[in-house]
Amino acid sequence: MLSILGIILTYKEGLLLGLWVTLKLCLVIWLAGLVIGTILGYLSSKYHSEIGIPARIIAFILSGIPVLVFLFWLHYPLQAMLQVVVNPFYTTCFALSIVNIFAVSEIVRSALDNFPTQYNLAAKVCGLSKKETFTKIELPIIFRQIIPSLLSLQVTMLQLTIFASLISVEEIFRVAQRINSLIYQPIEIYTAMAIFFLIVCLPMNGLAIWLKYKFTRNISEQ
Amino acid sequence: MLSGKNLTKKYQGQEILKGVDIVVERGKITSLIGPSGAGKTTLLRVLSMLDLPDTGKITLDNENYVFPQDKEIKVWPKISVVFQQLFLWPHLTLRQNILLPLRNNVDKKYIDELIDVLQMKDFIDRYPNEVSIGQRQRAAIARAIALKPEYLLLDEITSSLDVEQIDLVLKFLLRLKERGVGILIITHLLNFAKNASDQIVFLDSGIVLERGGKEILENPKHERVQKFLSIIKSAT
Repeated sequence: MLSILGIILTYKEGLLLGLWVTLKLCLVIWLAGLVIGTILGYLSSKYHSEIGIPARIIAFILSGIPVLVFLFWLHYPLQAMLQVVVNPFYTTCFALSIVNIFAVSEIVRSALDNFPTQYNLAAKVCGLSKKETFTKIELPIIFRQIIPSLLSLQVTMLQLTIFASLISVEEIFRVAQRINSLIYQPIEIYTAMAIFFLIVCLPMNGLAIWLKYKFTRNISEQ
Repeated sequence: MLSGKNLTKKYQGQEILKGVDIVVERGKITSLIGPSGAGKTTLLRVLSMLDLPDTGKITLDNENYVFPQDKEIKVWPKISVVFQQLFLWPHLTLRQNILLPLRNNVDKKYIDELIDVLQMKDFIDRYPNEVSIGQRQRAAIARAIALKPEYLLLDEITSSLDVEQIDLVLKFLLRLKERGVGILIITHLLNFAKNASDQIVFLDSGIVLERGGKEILENPKHERVQKFLSIIKSAT
């Protein structure tokens, strides 16, 4: 029986290809979510009725649909209705990016909406300009408040990429399944998968907790 | 001189200030006393022009501001305010809170003196959530003073200080007064007001009921002031 390390070494090329696909998925989803989500969150806070309310409704609806159902719906019924065939990699990128964008947007909007305006008042009294107040007070405080939540969310998005395997995206979990179908050693293979995700996700979660501890100060002054 | 004449202010249809006149002179301390809900904090915010009055006139030295007006007002940090809730920026240490508004114009000697006088050396490099409320209060005062304001408005800054710290702040305010800073302080501490003030203003329901020197604390003329002071004295 091949050890976990033996399996990894034997099938390293396939695993590396799967890992690369997972990383590509993550990069697209993270980038889209963080960039577009931040912009959407900012606009939602600034233009409450025009953008904020519609965005919150969409986020609310999305939160009620399991990600897998959303992914499957985009992959099968929607493509059948539109009579198109889209590479499942792009379908996954789109589905998870949408989920990430609206989740990030909600985190950013909430942080902006709930920002204690007293800090701006203190800045005003101290003679700081609007630009200085934004760059030196608002931005750092908001950044520190949201960064742990954003990091935890991105870990969740990484974990959600394994759903891509169910629509035939050759990401790392799909590769692991294929290897298992060849050698049938589920304990070793899925243990290796678990270790892989632990190695990637645990430090990120740990970092999120550390940042939360370090940066999330009591801003209520109570 | 910082003065407000016939200042009115409404919040949500409720009239908080009903034609208040007040004068804060340079080199003098004015204590503003009165019951909760009298409009003291509103008056402080209006006089500092952080909240604009609905009507009335504010004079800052030779400049007049007649309300209502849309003109952009920039009187800070010539007028500086320390709020009851201190609003220290939580992502900065106390030292950084003091230095940030100074930008590159840091008078190191003056800042060191300030830290020394307010006995902040031991905790100056901590974050606001890592120190006591009394220490935060001193840092908020230091932040306002570091900007060398000409008028300093203080809202209940002694509320969380112990006797020694109150004495420390009192001595410090007297030093500022000697340097020519005009000070307006809202306080419930009659002894503090008595020891520090050149002028005492009693505000109730948005109206100044009585004003004068320290003697009004001993012999108030207005019945409402007499009642209020007797309650405070019996409570302490």
